[in-house]
Amino acid sequence: MTAYTVQMEQLPKLCATWSAQYGVHVPMALGNGFYDFAPWRPGAEIAFEYDVAYNSLKRFFMPPREDMVAFDVQSCTASPVFAAPPTLLFGVHPYDIKAVTQLDQLMEAVSLDQNYFSRRDAVVIFALTPLAVADTAFWASVGADKVDRGYDLYWTKTGPGTFHVEVGSGKGEELLLAAGPLPPATAGSREAARKAQVRATKLGLSRKLLYDWHETPHVLERSWNSSVWHRKAEKCLACGSCNIVCPTCYCFDIREEVDESLKTGRRFREWDGCMLSGFALVAGGHNFRAQAAERYRHRYMRKGKYIFDKIGELGCVGCGRCVRACTSKIADPCAIFNTLWEERRHEI
Amino acid sequence: MKSRTFSPYVPRPATLISKSPLSDLVTLYEFTLDNGKNLAHKPGQFIMLSIYGVGEAPFSVSSAPVKDSLVFELAVRRIGTVTKALSELEAGAKVGIRGPFGTSFPVHEFVGKDTLLVAGGLGYIPIRSLLHYQLRHRQEFGRMSVLIGTRSPNERIFTDQIAELAASGDVEVLETVDVPDETWKGNVGVITTLLPKAGVDPQNTYVAMIGPPVMYKFVLRQCRDMGISSERIWVSLERRMKCGLGKCGHCQINNLNACVDGPVFRYMDIESLEEAI
Repeated sequence: MTAYTVQMEQLPKLCATWSAQYGVHVPMALGNGFYDFAPWRPGAEIAFEYDVAYNSLKRFFMPPREDMVAFDVQSCTASPVFAAPPTLLFGVHPYDIKAVTQLDQLMEAVSLDQNYFSRRDAVVIFALTPLAVADTAFWASVGADKVDRGYDLYWTKTGPGTFHVEVGSGKGEELLLAAGPLPPATAGSREAARKAQVRATKLGLSRKLLYDWHETPHVLERSWNSSVWHRKAEKCLACGSCNIVCPTCYCFDIREEVDESLKTGRRFREWDGCMLSGFALVAGGHNFRAQAAERYRHRYMRKGKYIFDKIGELGCVGCGRCVRACTSKIADPCAIFNTLWEERRHEI
Repeated sequence: MKSRTFSPYVPRPATLISKSPLSDLVTLYEFTLDNGKNLAHKPGQFIMLSIYGVGEAPFSVSSAPVKDSLVFELAVRRIGTVTKALSELEAGAKVGIRGPFGTSFPVHEFVGKDTLLVAGGLGYIPIRSLLHYQLRHRQEFGRMSVLIGTRSPNERIFTDQIAELAASGDVEVLETVDVPDETWKGNVGVITTLLPKAGVDPQNTYVAMIGPPVMYKFVLRQCRDMGISSERIWVSLERRMKCGLGKCGHCQINNLNACVDGPVFRYMDIESLEEAI
């Protein structure tokens, strides 16, 4: 695997070079202990030690609202709308990359989602080995502490001012060398990166599933009638916050609006959430998941079983965002899966 | 980077050819695609109809696929924004059509068999696509029965066609209403009261049923009690289809998407799904 050594002081020039072609987004401190990806500007302080970005990265591939069709009301004609803003995401943690590669698989299956891949193909991802972990996260126990695909470069901070950078794609290497040649990584640098990864994994295990994550679908298929769903959902506000912050939630609604002229308009998709009360409502008023507990169960079944059955991976990457976002303190996949496993373990 | 020109979200232009009332709220619409092509649907499939500026909604195709006919029919109840806007259109108006989407009734499996079609309420609309297909190929099928249940006599749809059909002798037609009025001389009661009256041979009968959510479990229980195997029963399940492409998540039944894995399911395949029936 090709790898290079990059010094911290070389980064501003690299970011400036990339900025000529891409909207470069980096992790930045928002205050109060929150971080998020924000556009890089000269002089920006990159938060290398961020624990988790407040928002997931799905917005770069599937924005909260995205125009898909432009139409003319009078002539009744319509044409597709695609956007592909060149974007470079620098400093993405492995669990977020895992979420993106899951979305890639789900958006490719059955019918290729053209709008998603229009944006996706224009995004370059530079991974970063985590230096901190959110107190709500459990990614190392769901196999999301490291990824072997889905990135163009993989950065690991190996010293106060040094990075070991592994090449993941030709595009990544081209961008890395765009501001001038770099020294190839030494054996020592590789060893330092390996140690940093070991440290990240250890850090990531401070919260964890009590069992091998591969067992999750088997635990869930026995848990349909568990009292956990009702117990937890009693407090659910059906606000959909867990859906919004989740890096693997992608359900959407399709709506449209017309311009003031009333002649033209656009149809767009907008994030929706299976926790919202009207999500499964049909014409005539029948609601297929009218109860909060039914919706709550559906969400965890989807993360732990339905997605797993489709792609062989847990549909939860353990980022812990939903745990933070839930005002009722009921959204916690780690706690729920562990509780169900405890309930079921003597039956298995 | 390749530039994209195709989007499955862009409807095909279509023209409203005619409309005729079927009941107070239900209207039959005939459409053709503007590209001069056949819709090429199969019995049980649905389309997404767009009225630009109002929205898009899913509807079952009510006509049978006919090779040399470019017309397809939708029967739609005026109940929401899209259906209200549709009801205000006149012949010649343009709409957008996506699809057809989803699975269909496996008519080839029905060949040589007796069939029992069970339609509750507006379920007759998609059942009619299958029924008319079978009637066009009448000799290929065994004994045909159709059970139709409606809430009240004034909500009955396709009444003339159904009367003609019953008189033709091609199909055994049994009808009932839940709540009769003074004009109603027929059966009274829910649709399950009809099944014992139908002359079906449980060992050789294939069943297709579409109706309101509450209908399925009662009719399915009755089928089971009669000895009709779940392998020979097909149900079409309504959910809130939005994208039609298995992506948006609204029509999920446990791990399945009703828009691509359904709406027509062999009952045996979904019997164990908690959210199906």
